[in-house]
Amino acid sequence: MSNYFYVSPEQLIKDRAEFAQKGIARGRSIVAAIYDVGVLMVAENPSASLNKISEIYDRIAFAGVGKYNEFDRLREAGIRWADGTGFTYSREDVDARALANYYAQHIGDMFTEGQKPLEVEVLVAQLGTAIRPTKLFRIAYEGTISDEPRFAVLGGDAETIKGRFSAAETDLEPLNVTLRNAVAALAGADRTIDVADLEVCVLQDTGGRRTFSRLTDERVAALLGT
Amino acid sequence: MGLPLFNASDDPGPSFLHFALRAGLVENPLGSGVEGRHATTVIAVRYVGGVVMVGDRQATSNYIASRDVRKIEAADRFTALAISGSAARGMEFIRMAQLSFEHYEKMTDTSLSLEGKANYLSPIIQRNNLGSPLMVIPLLAGWDPSHRDGRIFEYDGAGGCYERRDFATIGSGSPFAESALRLGFRADLDREAALELGALAIYEAGDNDPSTGGPDFVRNLFPMIITLDENGFTELPAEEVEARFVTINERRTQSQGIAGGSLR
Repeated sequence: MSNYFYVSPEQLIKDRAEFAQKGIARGRSIVAAIYDVGVLMVAENPSASLNKISEIYDRIAFAGVGKYNEFDRLREAGIRWADGTGFTYSREDVDARALANYYAQHIGDMFTEGQKPLEVEVLVAQLGTAIRPTKLFRIAYEGTISDEPRFAVLGGDAETIKGRFSAAETDLEPLNVTLRNAVAALAGADRTIDVADLEVCVLQDTGGRRTFSRLTDERVAALLGT
Repeated sequence: MGLPLFNASDDPGPSFLHFALRAGLVENPLGSGVEGRHATTVIAVRYVGGVVMVGDRQATSNYIASRDVRKIEAADRFTALAISGSAARGMEFIRMAQLSFEHYEKMTDTSLSLEGKANYLSPIIQRNNLGSPLMVIPLLAGWDPSHRDGRIFEYDGAGGCYERRDFATIGSGSPFAESALRLGFRADLDREAALELGALAIYEAGDNDPSTGGPDFVRNLFPMIITLDENGFTELPAEEVEARFVTINERRTQSQGIAGGSLR
């Protein structure tokens, strides 16, 4: 007689969720917010080369928290999907919502069927055009996709940071104000984050096709006024 | 297309072409029996601090199909690509190159070196030209930020890549453009002298090769001129291009169609 132990689906999901949450909580958080003319993404990241935020396409950016190797594979898949779709159809047919759905499906599949759930949370940000709105899609470790209206927080301490940011920023602000609020929300009251430990990227129109840019430490310091 | 995920052991890496082949986005070329001619002239000339490129605008099949084709495109900020040969394959080639350089940059967060870009194109040309009679011969030029120098790479039909330290030409008008460049090139050319020599070379090709379009004063269409220097790819404004060809044309009118003993 073989030994099968019955585990209720509720218990299984709970165990997997706890496992994923623990993994995600180990890393630092990310704040993404829409400002008056673009989208800002701020990560607390002491590494200058292992990025958490990346360009996916002309108007789409990616951010991930949790296990680096897991979200970096998703980032690469996103770039391939976007470049492949734009090559097959047209650049304007590359839509962040479609990519966010693929991420949600894959992360959801891994949560229920994988050897272990992915210990990641990812964000897909899109800068709007005449035919598409500016959007922030957050995909949680179990595949839940949420369409965040103004800002999104990824990572272990998300609820606290969310509270701090929404209290400080009540309306669309210029980049420097939004950046200051995002950094303050990440740091909390009794801590300051060194500029060198910040990874700051924006999606903003500058006249060209590509809108993604990574801000240098000098530029971040200037915007923060420090 | 679904989400393209690969195992680490068979990941196509940052190369867009290898990914596109795996995902079935591009087909291997098939022989069609249609032979295209290289009805074009594009030249690239090095000068101290950069490269000048000039290209004609005419697309020729059995008749003139178009008079305002752009045969030189920015492959990225510091690199330009020109094509001769089959228009369809050439356009696909430029698209593939542009996308590949950008894809690599996004995947790895670093730009390919200029030499890396030049080498990347070799197998693409080989794959196209050896599998199909619709030949494409490109010309790559760029500003190399790590060597702080303008560089030119030319290709043969089998994809062989050769760096040129002086100038290079592609297309059916090459013999005429090349003659002008051979007589006029000096290693210490400045930007202005290179622009003048480049425009003259295309004028010569347009004057002698039936498949190369010279300045078209009826429609106000002129060859396109670009420069690559430490500021990247810059296309000369239409008025400046027009003025250069008007000057050459007036000189030639005065000397009744001959150069008249000097490069003018």
